[in-house]
Amino acid sequence: MECKDFIAHLDDYLDGRAQDDAVRDHLAGCAECRRRYQLALGVQSALRKLAPPDVHPAFVDRAIARATRQDAAAAHPRRRAVLGMALAATLVLGLSLGAFFSMRDAPVQTVTLAVEKPETVRLVFSSAKPLRAATLSLALPDNVELVGYAGRRDLTWQTDLREGQNLLQLPLVARGAVKDELVAKLSHGTSSKTFRVKFEIAKSGAPGM
Amino acid sequence: MREEPFRRLERVWFLMSPVSPYRQTRPTELNFEDLVRPQVEYLFRLAWRFTGSVADAEDLVQDVLLKLFPRTQEMLAIQRLRPWLARVLYHQYVDSVRQRARSPVLQLVVDGDSEEDPLDKVPTTREGPEEHAERSGQRDLILAALRQLNPEQRAVVTMHDVEGYSLEELETMLGTPIGTLKSRLHRARQRLRALLPEEPFSAG
Repeated sequence: MECKDFIAHLDDYLDGRAQDDAVRDHLAGCAECRRRYQLALGVQSALRKLAPPDVHPAFVDRAIARATRQDAAAAHPRRRAVLGMALAATLVLGLSLGAFFSMRDAPVQTVTLAVEKPETVRLVFSSAKPLRAATLSLALPDNVELVGYAGRRDLTWQTDLREGQNLLQLPLVARGAVKDELVAKLSHGTSSKTFRVKFEIAKSGAPGM
Repeated sequence: MREEPFRRLERVWFLMSPVSPYRQTRPTELNFEDLVRPQVEYLFRLAWRFTGSVADAEDLVQDVLLKLFPRTQEMLAIQRLRPWLARVLYHQYVDSVRQRARSPVLQLVVDGDSEEDPLDKVPTTREGPEEHAERSGQRDLILAALRQLNPEQRAVVTMHDVEGYSLEELETMLGTPIGTLKSRLHRARQRLRALLPEEPFSAG
């Protein structure tokens, strides 16, 4: 058996499907294939050791209750959060951000919108640790509206961020040419971070990234 | 010839029997809760392995439960519920990834620049800083490597290598030919091995 044959049999060997002497003999005599096999075993074992976090007990109760009520809107608080939070939105003017800005600002990202065609833009905030009572403010540029909140340019609310990914879905619609950027500012304690989103208007009316 | 109608009836009864008359008269909500409550933790674990995120795993499980409630009577008749639920979760996961791919996503890292915040340097666990860094470093590497797989590859490597389903079981569960599953598993493992460094992952 040559190395290429061993490589072809590696998956079966890992799964106990190729336990014949030829494979074992090759493995015994070839340091390179032993190295391949050890890495394959190691990756498998690392995957098995990757322990999922515990399910939140409140989540189990909530999820079953929502399913039996067939309440799809209530089922995704994060997805509908923007609506709930936008109701409590206040003018962002005068928001104090504290004296220390320790976080670097994120690079500008671009989204393509078609005029008068609502598009859901998903902002995923990845946080390395939970942030309680963070303040998130949004400043929309001219000609971009949050669906259902015509005329509102500045929105701000308090929210808890979990460790890991936090999803904020923004149903946006462009009413015409967009020059400025959307600015999302997240502040927590004395730190804040600003995210900027640029818009391009699709000529053909086909939205996308 | 005279026995034939009885045989037929017997077969029909055999197919229907798992739903007990008691369960048929109970409110659907109670039956549903009895069936799914013991499985939610398993579904969440699997969903987390598919998605790598608590929030996405919860959303995925919630979507699955919403879809399952109207199918409570069907579930009552299923002998081995867990693999059946895993199949529903798998399809929901693949669909949701495809759906999301169609809407723009901006990935914003909130506090990845931890070197700029001196408080982040203080270890918060009883592990020594080196052990903590090594363990969380390996975890991050695996999660990052898993994110490079497509949803079908990620699901097959999770269900086969972690959850221990055989390829034959997966063929029946997912309705995907074994050849397709084998090649997905092969590509998934190959990609993970290419992405993960030998040190510290080699078992040798």
